[in-house]
Amino acid sequence: MASPHDWQTEIRARAAREGVALTDGMTEEIAEHLEDLYAGAIREGCTETEAQARARAALDESAMGVLRRPAAATRSAPAFDEAAAVATSAGGRRLNMSAALRLALRQLRRHPGFAAVTILVLGLGVGASTTVFTIVDSVLLRPLPYTDPDRLVTLWDANARRGLAHQTISPVNFMDYRELPAFEGAAAWWRPTLNLIDPGLDPLRVNAVEVSGNLFDVLGVRPQLGEGFPVGGPFFVQREPMVVISDRLWRTRYGADRSIVGKPLRLNGVPHVVAGVMPPRFNYPDDIDVWQRLQWDLHFHSRAAHFMEAVVRVRKDTTIEQASVAANTLAQRLITDFPQTNRDWTVTLVPLLDEQLGYYRPALFVLVGAVLLVLIIGCLNVASLLLTRALSREREIAVRIAMGASPRQLVAQLLAEACVLSTAGAIAGVVAAFAALPALVALAPAGVPRLDEAHVDLRALMIAVAIAATTTIVFGLVPALVLLRRKTAVELRSGERGSSRGARRTYSIIVAGQVALACTLLVSSALLIRTVSKMMATPTGVDADDVVTTSIQLASSGFPISIQQFRDAGVTHQAILERIRQQPGVMSAGAATVLPFDLGWRLPFAIEGDDVPVRAEDRKIAQYHVVSDGYVESMRATIAAGRSFSRFDTPDSTPVIVVNESFATRFLAGRSAVGRRILTTTRAFATLGFNLMFPPGPLNQPSTPLAFEVVGVVRDIRDTPIGEPVEPAMYFGVQQFPFFQMMYTVRAVDSGAALRAVRAALAAITPNVPMGPVRSWRELMNARTTEPRLLMMLLTFFGATAAFLAALGVYGLFSWSVAQRTRELAIRLTLGAQPLSVGASVIRQSLGLVAIGLVVGFAIVRLSEAALTRVLFELSPHDPGSLVAAGALLLLVALGACVPPAVRALRVDPVEGLRAE
Amino acid sequence: MTPIEITTIDAAKKGSADLLILALVEDEPLHGYEIAGRLDRGSDGTLRFTLASLYATLYRLEERELVRGRWVERAGQRRRRCYRITEKGRKALAAQREDWSRFIAALTQIAGLKPA
Repeated sequence: MASPHDWQTEIRARAAREGVALTDGMTEEIAEHLEDLYAGAIREGCTETEAQARARAALDESAMGVLRRPAAATRSAPAFDEAAAVATSAGGRRLNMSAALRLALRQLRRHPGFAAVTILVLGLGVGASTTVFTIVDSVLLRPLPYTDPDRLVTLWDANARRGLAHQTISPVNFMDYRELPAFEGAAAWWRPTLNLIDPGLDPLRVNAVEVSGNLFDVLGVRPQLGEGFPVGGPFFVQREPMVVISDRLWRTRYGADRSIVGKPLRLNGVPHVVAGVMPPRFNYPDDIDVWQRLQWDLHFHSRAAHFMEAVVRVRKDTTIEQASVAANTLAQRLITDFPQTNRDWTVTLVPLLDEQLGYYRPALFVLVGAVLLVLIIGCLNVASLLLTRALSREREIAVRIAMGASPRQLVAQLLAEACVLSTAGAIAGVVAAFAALPALVALAPAGVPRLDEAHVDLRALMIAVAIAATTTIVFGLVPALVLLRRKTAVELRSGERGSSRGARRTYSIIVAGQVALACTLLVSSALLIRTVSKMMATPTGVDADDVVTTSIQLASSGFPISIQQFRDAGVTHQAILERIRQQPGVMSAGAATVLPFDLGWRLPFAIEGDDVPVRAEDRKIAQYHVVSDGYVESMRATIAAGRSFSRFDTPDSTPVIVVNESFATRFLAGRSAVGRRILTTTRAFATLGFNLMFPPGPLNQPSTPLAFEVVGVVRDIRDTPIGEPVEPAMYFGVQQFPFFQMMYTVRAVDSGAALRAVRAALAAITPNVPMGPVRSWRELMNARTTEPRLLMMLLTFFGATAAFLAALGVYGLFSWSVAQRTRELAIRLTLGAQPLSVGASVIRQSLGLVAIGLVVGFAIVRLSEAALTRVLFELSPHDPGSLVAAGALLLLVALGACVPPAVRALRVDPVEGLRAE
Repeated sequence: MTPIEITTIDAAKKGSADLLILALVEDEPLHGYEIAGRLDRGSDGTLRFTLASLYATLYRLEERELVRGRWVERAGQRRRRCYRITEKGRKALAAQREDWSRFIAALTQIAGLKPA
């Protein structure tokens, strides 16, 4: 006859009073013993009361202390372990915070996996968000170090008909814009190539701009040493060449010698007086070391030549929008007055900070969004971990209440645990931030403005720590408080928990949220990956990965530059190339005024035999390039018809050009291009290059058109940046149209051989001329995609982390769910369900949850498309390939995560399962 | 009995607990109640474990892998945890029997004990 008494409860209470932890098995075993004693007493004729008394006496006489087990028991520790630990360490009913903290540390040591994962996730979220916020603050949010930086804008020409939104400005147009009343001051510059030659020092190619004398006035900065360009001084000065140098150049090359002010520096052979040294970290507009004062009148140039950059200070009482309207009104007037050069050209004003940030502004916003998502996912993960932990402590809390613990003591204990976790997580995050920031700065491409000034931002750190701490405390405390209030619903004997269904819903929502955010991140990283590969796959027209490039600037002297100097430059470049080709290991070598992706000069031309347009604005425009013989071969471009240049195309032979296929298709369609004659009046590009085929005369003397015979058609070599269509182009031979500066391209057995060849050639022909920076074509190509590649890398890392956390969430949810549903699953199996179908039901439920998360994730991507569009290239945020790839990956990961709990489900032993409670 | 006598027997009980339980489960697996019953009956009440000390001893022997406990369900009965001696337990039992035999022989000889 079974006893109606609940022996197990009594045993547990006895053990708890004596501070002994009993496993469920032990409790059951001892209870069975008492049942046997009871049954034995009944068989002997005792009454129920007497039989119970006998059994209870056996219990009472036992000192439960002998059953105290060490922690490493073979059976799993029940919730009572923890209650017992609380009871013994806290000394009973009194519990103070320091004791609570010590106990919290012990509790967490007993669950190292849970503590480690929680701290890791918190640390990742805090560290990543602090690092990114710090970078954003340094690069984006801090004001520029100029006077009233909000009034500074950059000026750009635009031509909607040609799809040009951001073009360098014509110097003559600039001089008109400069006079606008809306502008308080305007400065302009262009970028010559200057070689610095000092006695006893290596020749150095310097990053330089030739700039109007008022640049520093417009920006509102003064040199740290010397007077600089005279304040309010002339816009340009033809004589008295003058420079201001950077702090960096001053320290690295001149040892911070204060006597440098007033001394001459030889730039391209011409002495320039040093007027000042700029403050540290001032390298405006970008990485500049030498500011050369403008030596020519910008009026005396062409309105059609767009090669200058400009910065403007808008008047105090004028907004940028008003200034933009005024500038465009002027632009419309210039179109009317100068239709042949200004037709369709408008002007764009871009705030200086936006201009300096360029791609980084939208990229950083995307990154901030991504890291916020990671932080939220991390907090959700921590929330789910804490939720399950709280639920697993129902029994412990019930026992402690039964033992008389006050809610305040329990809350204090839970608060202590949450504080320990969030403190440890915050410390991990701080360490991660301090480690990650320098690593990220090192990985970032050169030229990210103000990145090198980034230091761990304490505000960002505090915010991230606060978010993490709040999450931990809320999710550590709230479920337990709920359980406290519902203590009557919890039965110590039964494992049925009234809170299970509600908890499962909350947990599911948390996990679905993680999946949604992980989906957003994965889609973003997939989009960036596709962006980068599209950019890298942009057809270039060349096959030149291993070609070594460098620039060589020959010296010119005197002003104006004589035509003989240009002739000598052409001869010298040819001699250098010949010498390079003779060096060991060199297969081919050539030179060009600009490399692929860079623009040539857009200038008019005419086709001999065609009617000359009546209106000047109807003249055809093409890009003008100058290349040497061997350039096409070295870059492995393809000649589609005719030939490329040879060394016999000299100033004394027939004037010849090569055109690209776009030119031939657009302007010579239906007829063979080779043999046609193209007319041009362009005889010079300022002091840069001169067309020797024109009759001698002053450089700026207008000329009658000269005919050049097309001798070849080259397959399009990209002459516009990525994303813009290739433009028609004409290529002149360097011997007929020499420039002082040329970009050399050398194909050799390896880069070392190429470098040695150029050095040897220069040493033999022009020992005083330095090489410019040496890069392989592959490096140059990579440099064009550095920013999106960096963003891609970071987003992929965040996406992978998020997917991992989401998978962890799925695994945790379904592991917990299977454990909670053991009885249900056992009943189903007992009633004949196949184990596979039970396991499949777990997988089906997880897939359903993941599907919901994916749908929400795609919706978030949809909402973010404005931000994403600005960092993508020829790709829509709805790109199906990216959505499918991200969704499939997440499904796969989630599937993998729910397989172990599904396997556990189908392995539930129906008998054991029904006894599980 | 005097307190000293009680102490003597108690000390002897403590030292012999392992031996007793190993001997009881040597031939067949038994659960705790059966072990307690056989011990009580076999010693006419001289040797008795309290509930806690019986199970403490069983768990200790199990940890030392001298016995192995398994839940067993017999028809018409509640499930019980039965303990069976292991090979290691048999060896330990043999060793303890020898030790105790020598000890008792020495006591008998020196202290002039009369056999029961």
